[in-house]
Amino acid sequence: MSTLGTVLAAVGEGRIRGGWEYVRTAYGICWTGLSLYALSLWIRSRRSEERK
Amino acid sequence: MDVRTKRGLETAALLAVAAIFAYAAWVGLVWAPPDREMGDVQRIMYAHVPMVQMMLLAGTINFVCCVLYLFRASWKTDALAEASAEITLVFGAIGTTLGSIWGRPTWGVYWAWDPRLTTVAILLVAYAGYMALRRFVDDPERRAVWAAVTGIVIAVDVPIIYFSVKWWKSLHQVQSSPRTVDPQMVYALRWNILAFFLLLIVFLVVRYRIALAARVRETTVPEAAPRGREAVAS
Repeated sequence: MSTLGTVLAAVGEGRIRGGWEYVRTAYGICWTGLSLYALSLWIRSRRSEERK
Repeated sequence: MDVRTKRGLETAALLAVAAIFAYAAWVGLVWAPPDREMGDVQRIMYAHVPMVQMMLLAGTINFVCCVLYLFRASWKTDALAEASAEITLVFGAIGTTLGSIWGRPTWGVYWAWDPRLTTVAILLVAYAGYMALRRFVDDPERRAVWAAVTGIVIAVDVPIIYFSVKWWKSLHQVQSSPRTVDPQMVYALRWNILAFFLLLIVFLVVRYRIALAARVRETTVPEAAPRGREAVAS
């Protein structure tokens, strides 16, 4: 088998199977992080209005 | 416009942003097809790419505000510079974390000192320093000038980040073109870019108001204390 053939056989279809745990983790971190920042803005905004 | 109408419009705008965000997430996570090679892991792109794009946009806004402040000092541009710097840091930190998670199943590692990743890391550290600088300097005018100069220096990194994948062909892929991507993926990505852009606008407006209110408090001359007046009267 040629070198290229060996490489292609090792790669196969080259498709990652599964991986939803990475997707869930990524979106969980994204939404949690943005929600916490939104919460911090809301709290700081309330404090800022109280000081006026 | 009275306060009640203003509050009502703001609430309606927030609900519209939340609805667009929910639709964009559904399109990216459910409706769009999996990638031919990366499978479902590629769905991280619909959050990672818009987050990093918004980081670059907020960094550019910061640069513009810093330049404007040096030409014509204004608390409004200083407040917007502060707001955009903090948001660059937030979007950049989360966006880089998402990229790192995406890197594990596709590259085999969470982190590599690839030019794109390294330049983004430099930007995040620099903006953390920028925010620290703003807290350490008490005099508002001096703080604004120092922050403006620092912001301009940091902004040099923004175009380097964008072009790094073209200049140094390394681990991180180059920007995709709509011509080479499945139309369904392009549709999903555009909706997510719109959703994150609207979120950026909301964050910027709220953070700007907080920063501007702080500037006004700092620079307003306080009225004479009652004790002082009594002392004069007596």
